[in-house]
Amino acid sequence: MSADVLVVIERRGAAPVRAALEATGVARRLAGPSGAGRVTAVLLGTALEASAGTIAGLGVDRVITVSDPRFDTFQTALWAAAVAAIARELSSSVILLAGTNNGRQLAGRIAIRWDAAAVTGIADLSPGAAGEITVTRPVFSGRAFQEVRIGAPRVVLGLRPNAFPIPEASSPPAPIAEHAPLELGPLPSGGAVTGFESAQSGIGPDLSDATVIVSGGRGLKGPENFRLLEELALSLGAAIGASRAVTDSGWRPASFQIGQTGKSVSPQLYIAVGISGAIQHLVGMISSRTIVAINSDPSAPIFKVADYGIAGDLFQIVPALTAEIRRVRGS
Amino acid sequence: MVDFSLTEEQKSLQDLARKFAKTEMLPVAAACDRAGRFPEDVYRKAWELGLMNLNVPTEYGGSGLSVFDQCVIVEELAHACGGMTTSIIANCLALEPILLGGTEEQRKRTLPAFCSSYHLASFCLTEPSGGSDAGGLQTRCRLDGDHYVLDGEKCFITNAPHASLYTVFATIDPALRHKGITAFFVPRAAEGVVPGKDEEKMGHRASSTSTVKFDHVRVPLADRLGAEGDGFSLAMRTLDHTRTPIGALATGIAQAAIDYAADYSLKRHTFGKPIGEHQAIQLKLANMAQEVHAARLLTWHAAWLIDGGQRGSLESSIAKCFASDAAMKVADDAIQIFGGYGYMKDYPVEKLLRDAKLTQIYEGSNEIQRIVIARELLTHYA
Amino acid sequence: MELLVLIKPVPDPDTRLRPNAAGTALDTDGVKWVLTGYDESAVEQALLLKESAPGSRVRAIAFGPAPRTEEILRSALALGCDTATWVEQPSGLVPDPMLSANALSWACQKTPFDLLVVGKQALDDEAGVVGPAVAERLGVADYGPVVDLRWDPAAGKFNLARAVEGGLERITASGPMVVCLQQAWNDPRTAKLQNVLKARRTTIDKVSWAEVQAGVGPAVPGTRLTSFRLPPPRTGAKMIAFKTPEEAAQQLVRLLREEAKTLP
Repeated sequence: MSADVLVVIERRGAAPVRAALEATGVARRLAGPSGAGRVTAVLLGTALEASAGTIAGLGVDRVITVSDPRFDTFQTALWAAAVAAIARELSSSVILLAGTNNGRQLAGRIAIRWDAAAVTGIADLSPGAAGEITVTRPVFSGRAFQEVRIGAPRVVLGLRPNAFPIPEASSPPAPIAEHAPLELGPLPSGGAVTGFESAQSGIGPDLSDATVIVSGGRGLKGPENFRLLEELALSLGAAIGASRAVTDSGWRPASFQIGQTGKSVSPQLYIAVGISGAIQHLVGMISSRTIVAINSDPSAPIFKVADYGIAGDLFQIVPALTAEIRRVRGS
Repeated sequence: MVDFSLTEEQKSLQDLARKFAKTEMLPVAAACDRAGRFPEDVYRKAWELGLMNLNVPTEYGGSGLSVFDQCVIVEELAHACGGMTTSIIANCLALEPILLGGTEEQRKRTLPAFCSSYHLASFCLTEPSGGSDAGGLQTRCRLDGDHYVLDGEKCFITNAPHASLYTVFATIDPALRHKGITAFFVPRAAEGVVPGKDEEKMGHRASSTSTVKFDHVRVPLADRLGAEGDGFSLAMRTLDHTRTPIGALATGIAQAAIDYAADYSLKRHTFGKPIGEHQAIQLKLANMAQEVHAARLLTWHAAWLIDGGQRGSLESSIAKCFASDAAMKVADDAIQIFGGYGYMKDYPVEKLLRDAKLTQIYEGSNEIQRIVIARELLTHYA
Repeated sequence: MELLVLIKPVPDPDTRLRPNAAGTALDTDGVKWVLTGYDESAVEQALLLKESAPGSRVRAIAFGPAPRTEEILRSALALGCDTATWVEQPSGLVPDPMLSANALSWACQKTPFDLLVVGKQALDDEAGVVGPAVAERLGVADYGPVVDLRWDPAAGKFNLARAVEGGLERITASGPMVVCLQQAWNDPRTAKLQNVLKARRTTIDKVSWAEVQAGVGPAVPGTRLTSFRLPPPRTGAKMIAFKTPEEAAQQLVRLLREEAKTLP
């Protein structure tokens, strides 16, 4: 039996967020080819036309819009109630959520309301026999992978961001239909949004919890050059770390030190800049999921443990990398 | 029923100490060692958490822990830095004579200050003329009305430049040897108390050590601990209580050496495999493990005896002597396993050797411990 | 203010992870279970709020097996939580996060509260469903992932900031509500020795599994763990060939996006 999938589309401005496009592709994979299972995309809020049009062209079977200004801000309880109500109405078997902060926040809430299982942080998945779905999810900060088999008749699936490709445009576009106004009954009232701060002024993550770490070593040649790393970190929302050579020289406080005598970290992405890779440093970061090394010495031991290496002048590479990341992340 | 397992309470104390060691001590240990810096911020934090006056009973505001509990904590602290641990537990040593020999009035007058705010105290026994020959000390105390007048110099005094109170051992007459020794507590503020400059040491470089000069220092009669001539026995009973935690301190250093070496042996490859898979390294690691295991159990046993009310002189001497020798051997082996890297200051093991060395020397040199052990042994055959 | 904080015993972050013999889950033999990561921050945040509003109380609540669950509740008590509730998990039961959420929600509804604080996810399984699921069960609003949370006594409201893609959203809200905390922007305190000893003597309230089942219905996990594996060992970096720094940057970003999939 094929899944009947409801995929929730989040927007930023007039366009769906990238993670929602990824989710749309996954929805198709789960439902099987058109005619087997059905993929319904749902959009909530106002001025949905452009986004609905984009999604309609990405291989879904239909798009439902709920034009209601209540959904212009994100309130978990309200959104969860709406999505669960539509899933009930459509007799969906899977609700698919994008790998966004809001998507993550919705999963548990929808699952209770819809009486379903919930699995989040999915990096890969495959529909199995008898309606079962098997998913793979990184756990322990990417230090291990867990495979979960889902046998529940209804399930909320949350995806990991950047784990799936964006589907190719398809034609003809799926039909778009406006849903009748939703009656959701009494819901807890959410707070008032009083402001928004763009990420530039945001609070940087803590080293031990950061999903991305940019770390600097002796190759930076002086404390003033950490500015290069700060800009790279800002472009990625990353925390900044350092090798022992750096903290011992007083370029950065001891709390920045990663290694045997400092912190052990295991982010998704670790970018080692100007770090040669003494064992004392490696033991503190070896369990990172992806390691990038940028060092002028091609024989530096750091390249033995890195996934990707750039042997070059960090003073040229790092600014170029910051610019490129800003470009692709659109900030 | 003999039981070698820690209670849940002891495990909690161990967790607390381990966490403090890892988050507060370890990150600054290498830098303090290199610079010879006394990290007062770390010591203040240790005090705030209650890790400083472990032996002071709760009625005076201390932690009121048994010797066994102290050992559990001290081993964890020393795992991160032996030198800092020595400075953290120096109050235990300095205040123990007041606990053992002070009147209730004296205890109430001195101890609560150390528990209600951060203060350090120093134990002043050793003199330039000799540390092991405590009976031969030269610092004089002379009764003058309702005061004693202290004259002399002490050396190798832990925390002395930072202390606000000194427990001092002096003699009414050097000719009386042990029988003339008398104990006092003397505030730093007393006129004529002059701590010397911080010594440059081989290890324990985060700790502070200096001489203390007593130059016509007037000490009220009310600040004498016990009677005239009770001092030697008081010093020895004090050391009976504090010697065992030194065994734990050495065990902590040794355990750190094993942890670094074993971890390294799995990461470092030679001849196509991790060096930990070579028998040469395995034999070394096995010996190290035996040393540390024995050191810990000897320490625990001595602590258990003392907490049970026995004097434990023999057992605490065995524990201190064995554990400190073990720490030296194991730290030496760890450096050997690290090879050339082990000799480099960028790696943490050479510090362990330098820190371990002091544990063979202070709180009764290992030679003195062996004399105690042999004498005790021979009494059973005489 | 009545505060609840949900915590969970997780393997010490220094644990060397190993799959069990069947390869289906973490081998828990010799694992040390601790209060750490998001949960430690959550406890700290609850304690900071308690200190900012005199007369407040904090109750720590955890669901899990003996003895590890009791131990982390004692850790929370030692840090300054006033009371603790242990929702007992029968041995043999492998709970999925939704089942945990149901069990926890039963303990949470026993007493009225103003604010429930929970880490946005646990350090081990990283599910992140417990906070919002408990909020739904209890019929209160939830906010997450929250990176700043303060009590405004004059207004009688909470000011908080939640991370959203591209920035921070500032919100003013009143309780009762659930806050899912992002990470350690606060600096979790260390327990004092005397409090560690005192916490050992505090009575922990227990909620039996039978009571939970009677309250929220029989729990049947809808999911099953079928594999737990470690990533393959590293074999050396893929070196990026380039003529200009820009070319190197473009190639690296492409690889991180398309191959490694770890570029945020």
